[in-house]
Amino acid sequence: MDTDALSPLLSALRDAVLDGDARGAASATERALGQGVDPQRLVDGALIPAMDEAGRRFENGEFFVPELLVSARALKASQAIVTPLLAQRGGVVARGRVAIGTVKGDMHDIGKNLVVALLQGGGFDVVDLGTDVPPTRFVSAVTNDRVDIVGLSALLTTTMLQMKATLKAMETAGVRGSVKVIVGGAPVTQRFADEIGADGYADNAAAALALARRLMASGA
Amino acid sequence: MATRTVMTSRERVLAAMRRQETDRPPFDLSFGIATAQLASIRARTGADDPWDYFGADTRMIWPGPTRLDTDFSRYLGRLPRGSTVDEWGLGHVPTASTDADHAHLEGFRHPLEEAESLADIAQYPLPDVDAAYRYESVRAAVEAVHRRGLAAMAMLECTIFERAWYLRGMERLLLDFSDGSAMATVLLDRITALRIGQARHYAASGADVICYGDDVGTQRGLLMSAAMWRTWLKPRLAATIAAARDVRPDVLVFYHSDGNVEALIPDLIDIGVDILNPVQPECLDAAALKRQYGSRLSFWGTIGTQSTLPFGSPDDVRREVRTRIETVGAGGGLFLAPTHVIEPEVPFENLVAFVEAVTGERG
Repeated sequence: MDTDALSPLLSALRDAVLDGDARGAASATERALGQGVDPQRLVDGALIPAMDEAGRRFENGEFFVPELLVSARALKASQAIVTPLLAQRGGVVARGRVAIGTVKGDMHDIGKNLVVALLQGGGFDVVDLGTDVPPTRFVSAVTNDRVDIVGLSALLTTTMLQMKATLKAMETAGVRGSVKVIVGGAPVTQRFADEIGADGYADNAAAALALARRLMASGA
Repeated sequence: MATRTVMTSRERVLAAMRRQETDRPPFDLSFGIATAQLASIRARTGADDPWDYFGADTRMIWPGPTRLDTDFSRYLGRLPRGSTVDEWGLGHVPTASTDADHAHLEGFRHPLEEAESLADIAQYPLPDVDAAYRYESVRAAVEAVHRRGLAAMAMLECTIFERAWYLRGMERLLLDFSDGSAMATVLLDRITALRIGQARHYAASGADVICYGDDVGTQRGLLMSAAMWRTWLKPRLAATIAAARDVRPDVLVFYHSDGNVEALIPDLIDIGVDILNPVQPECLDAAALKRQYGSRLSFWGTIGTQSTLPFGSPDDVRREVRTRIETVGAGGGLFLAPTHVIEPEVPFENLVAFVEAVTGERG
């Protein structure tokens, strides 16, 4: 199929995801596949650009949390159809693998969940460790899940200090060198990230995706 | 400041929040103190109550205990050990934190997260927070606070949005809003009806300030669009404020939202908010807000619990207080307080510096 014929199918899917239209995203996916579009092409040409655009709008203040949530829901409706097809022929071509969680003692997960949605939308394979995650759990994710990047989230000044403890646990376990660690959350700053020896800091979900891509490009 | 006569705390709070000159700005210690911090302050001061010890100008008041004993187990399932359930049916689940009693360090189990029908929402057993019998103790507490010359704050926070998402789950509720779901309408309406009843009782109790609040800000801006807030939340918040004003037109209306809610300020003024809290310095410029809205809005908070209080020096704290008095305090309209719960990292010396800088006293 040539590019001219392909683009309306891809942009219909992209628009459905951006509009948060889960049913529309599913039917646009079926339609494209029915016309012979390669599933990986749907991911690369529609789903990833859609969530990139959602992230851009979020960063610019055109999208808020509800718009990201409905876009992520529409993305999942398409992925539910596409992912099994890709799995049949050996899996999705992931852009990298990220383990992410809210650190020990902290239950706040809205920000972390937005980062998960954008990373998944951006083609990353994400291991979501949830909330209240002890340092040992991050260490075992590095050891067992072969991740490239570890993401740490915290909302409070109290729990933010657990980021340092988590980095220390990774060093003690001898796995710090094998991953990049990125941090974020309301009280976290670039300065704090530097102080505790993290590899990167992002102040919002879209910036976290950009950061993860930069780290992968630099050989994480 | 022009007025040098020493005022009572209550006079000071009322005058300052009505944007009149006072002997000094009023202050308090915000909504609470983390368990570990409270223990450390008690050890340092030998006093049980930091509000008494530091001479805070306000006291918080809540409704009396409920006589209901609702069983929420069918909504919550099996909860982990050490969990508790409040009268709204929200499950509070402890975390691995060593400061387990700190309200910000627990997890929630939302009783309506799996609700699928309008009937599930309509039949959910809400508490009797608006029952008249629960406000007898409120009237007594307000009188007691007034007898001490202090200002009484009637607590009505988590007014609508937060209460609704505590029951439904935040992502679920925001999706309901996006979908225009009748389930969200019914949930919000039921909560609003209770809040209207509470607001009327509080206004009749003689409390000086009614503290409304729903966190709708992140530190980068609104959590949801202003349009969505105006559709779902503004009219209902307005109704609860109007209910209090209907009983007592001069009761002060305080509205709390963390984060950057600058985009909503004209709307909040429009529906009768007198006081904005906590005006986080990490994301809002209190001086600029004073210039723009200071003739119609007072500011409560402004001393950062995410920045200066935990990580600054006592001199930094004093400087922040002085800057605020100079840039926001002119003509009244400023109440100084930590922007949130005082976390364990805040050095005791910084609290002392905060209070001394406000009161002009040296301990």
